[in-house]
Amino acid sequence: MTMTQTPSLLDPGLCADVLHLAGSGGADFAELFVEDTHNTGYRLHQGEVRDAGGGNLFGAGLRLLYGTRVVYAYTNDVTPTGLRQLAGDVARARAGQGEVSRQGAGGLDFRRHDARPLYVAQQHPLHARAQDKLALMRRAHHAAAGVGDVKTVDVNYLDRVQRVLIANSEGLWAEDERVWTRLMVSAIAQDGTWRESGFYGPGAGQGLEFYDTVTPEAIGAEAARMAGAMLRAGHAPAGKLPVVIGNEFGGVIFHEACGHILETTAVEKNASVFGDKLGQAIAHPCVSATDDGTLPGAWGMVSVDDEGLPGQRTALIEKGVLTSFMVDRVGELKTGHRRTGSGRRQNYTFAPASRMRSTFIEAGPQTPEELIGQVEYGLYARRMGGGSVTPGTGEYNFAVREAYLIRGGELAEPVKGASLVGNGAQDLRNIVGVANDLALGQGMCGSVSGSIPTDVGQPHILISEITVGGRA
Amino acid sequence: MTGALDTTQLGLDAARRHLLDRAREQGVALEVYAQREAATAIEAHGGEVSEFKLSTRQGVGLRALVGGAWGAAFTENLSRPALDRALARAVENAQLSAPEPGAALIAWGEPPSLDLYGEGLSGVTPEQKAQVALTLEQAARAHDPRVVSVPYLGYEDSQTELLVGNTEGLSREQRALHAMTYAAPLARDGEENRMGSDWQFTREFTALDPTQTALRAAEKSLALLGARPAPTGTFPVVITGECMAQLLGLFAPMFSGRMVEEGKSPLAGQLGQPVGSALVTLVDDATLPRGMSSRAFDAEGCPSAPLTLMAGGELRAFFHNAQTAARAGQASTGHAARQGYQGVVGVGRSNLFLQPGHTPDDEVTSGVTGVLLTSVSGGHAGASPVTGDFSLQAEGFWLQDGVRAHPLEVFTVAGTFTDLLAQIEAVGETLQWGWSGTGAPTVRVKGLAVAGGAPKA
Repeated sequence: MTMTQTPSLLDPGLCADVLHLAGSGGADFAELFVEDTHNTGYRLHQGEVRDAGGGNLFGAGLRLLYGTRVVYAYTNDVTPTGLRQLAGDVARARAGQGEVSRQGAGGLDFRRHDARPLYVAQQHPLHARAQDKLALMRRAHHAAAGVGDVKTVDVNYLDRVQRVLIANSEGLWAEDERVWTRLMVSAIAQDGTWRESGFYGPGAGQGLEFYDTVTPEAIGAEAARMAGAMLRAGHAPAGKLPVVIGNEFGGVIFHEACGHILETTAVEKNASVFGDKLGQAIAHPCVSATDDGTLPGAWGMVSVDDEGLPGQRTALIEKGVLTSFMVDRVGELKTGHRRTGSGRRQNYTFAPASRMRSTFIEAGPQTPEELIGQVEYGLYARRMGGGSVTPGTGEYNFAVREAYLIRGGELAEPVKGASLVGNGAQDLRNIVGVANDLALGQGMCGSVSGSIPTDVGQPHILISEITVGGRA
Repeated sequence: MTGALDTTQLGLDAARRHLLDRAREQGVALEVYAQREAATAIEAHGGEVSEFKLSTRQGVGLRALVGGAWGAAFTENLSRPALDRALARAVENAQLSAPEPGAALIAWGEPPSLDLYGEGLSGVTPEQKAQVALTLEQAARAHDPRVVSVPYLGYEDSQTELLVGNTEGLSREQRALHAMTYAAPLARDGEENRMGSDWQFTREFTALDPTQTALRAAEKSLALLGARPAPTGTFPVVITGECMAQLLGLFAPMFSGRMVEEGKSPLAGQLGQPVGSALVTLVDDATLPRGMSSRAFDAEGCPSAPLTLMAGGELRAFFHNAQTAARAGQASTGHAARQGYQGVVGVGRSNLFLQPGHTPDDEVTSGVTGVLLTSVSGGHAGASPVTGDFSLQAEGFWLQDGVRAHPLEVFTVAGTFTDLLAQIEAVGETLQWGWSGTGAPTVRVKGLAVAGGAPKA
């Protein structure tokens, strides 16, 4: 295809000017982040378009570092006057402690970092017609509506195209365009007073060609299947049990139990139970885990991070041993660990922080059936909801959407309403079996720098013991 | 006349007028929701200000009504060409959408007079604000040597201007001030790490008391040290006001008229029926002067007024905006809600609270052997307003004959929200507010499923 040169979001002369002005209070480092984002959101309820919206996010953020101290300011008055005003405000935020700039008056000579995109969208959402997007939604709706006891179907479609420019006082100049699309189906099955919901919502860092590989029909059918499977389920048991966790979105357990506490954002605040464990065994030897920004077209893909660094693949745990944290610029300054291209933020209203990209447990040698076969009495958590963690203590929780009892190494009756809770530092050691069916699932991860697209992932895993929050 | 290269940014009021004028010229029914927010956020770590964040952000959200169907759009670019593009986008989106019976724009009557701004922040210096953050850390650290750090703390303020208008002639303005502090100190004893938190919300800077917030937060963290495994089984549970407020926040969507009409609320069809114990009266009041979610009018400009959702356990009302109300054959309750200018208009609560009862607070726990529940988390996934079911990570204490015996290691509580409301046996006298703007007194519940360390026999 032909590539047309899109003009930069901002003139280099103006960027240099703004960075210089912002640094005039004696900052060690200044960074400008400019963003122009277009998004679309549609909701189909019972096959009819109910909410149609979207718009244009447009703004700039300026970050100054004084040692490890951060001053951040943003505005959506992205005009020369607005940006100079912002730069002046940032410089003045350090008033009283400010020094006179020792830098010369010359402009910055930006090193153009031509971020080579890891993936280029083929059916770009900004060039696709609304009717084509609605057609995808209708296909998903038809695959879920009326299946078994499914009475209510909602389909949400989202796309987001984020153009960014990152320039800093070290002369870095990076531009990137990020494209995301996602289709989510919720189905509610109902039979008298029994009701249960199913949800499936894959997405990608791709254009609409994504739906050629993961079809809207498959998405709708999966949501309907889950709602139906859980409809007449009894309650999950309560207490400590062995648990087999399904692949794909099952990886949310690693994300919550371990991922967040390996971000320097937690480590630098002395709020990570793993902060001093580099090089030590923190998990069972069957566990290797990776955080990867370089998977082409992945939901968590990072061609260039929000600090202007190319995305990387970071081995977090190798055979149970902690090998790396996820590190951003401030994290590097505070902890001394090298940056890993993990600086991410929701948009210009957030300063970047170390965040996950596509985070997963690597495949192991066994089959899922072999893992289930090892459990005399326990829970098979096939599909997960979301979760959360308290970094300071490592205590986490996550919700199970679809589960079955395991009796004598065989799958038995469906059970509903379980959540799993535990302590990351303890439970990582209890992952005793890893299967060979690694797959990724997509979610939005909320933390200090906002809500960002991340993949979670894993093969089926066996945890020897975990607290199941059921009520039977 | 303005050209395509006109990038002059309009003010909020001028943007509103421009859009409504253009809409009238084109014969489009339009609602404009314009917001500007100026905010400060300060964090301190290690005796220094570690983060200082300043922001100004503004934008307009548009909602066009074409042929009985709504279409939405927003823009942060307030130049005339960008506003015109947003208007065109809203109209296009309306043309894609299905008509909704009852859809209408209304020029509502006058809203109540409500001061949400206080003295403002004009006399407050950045140094004073930074001092609040520094004090939070110092006070928590100095309180007890077992407080090893305060990983999460901060001072935040924001001044918001909101304008709503529509082509029926509605024109509304409101300004509000938020100022708050929070602290989550990490308490350590040997290998055991515990983190509790506390916070304060106010509309007057001078009312902030960071020392008290820090001390309460440190006390909460320290109290969690020495935790033992929770038992597994069904036990009587006393839920603190703050925790009950969290649960109310999670299940508030059950009362949404929109969720009801779309078949997503277990309360559908139960108006006039008992759905909770006779001790349960639930009120939503946007007009509380100190409420976190207070507002004189809703996202459609409809005046706010208190609404009783449940009285003596009986379901009396749902939240409605103009559209869901029309379809339910009633008037709007003033609960149109939107996530700032970016969102679409839906239905949502304001300050939702469980009315205090008549049991003295210290008597709510009297004689109870069971769990004192102080906090739940994981609600975004572990609580379903569609079924009412929940299974949540919990924090709390073991009560032995009404006395706090010891804190509990991480455990879960599970149940169904309507069963919980039906099982309330005692309601305390003091209303406490949670940090999402819901409130409750301490309550006692007959039994909830608890899952802890000990396997079930």
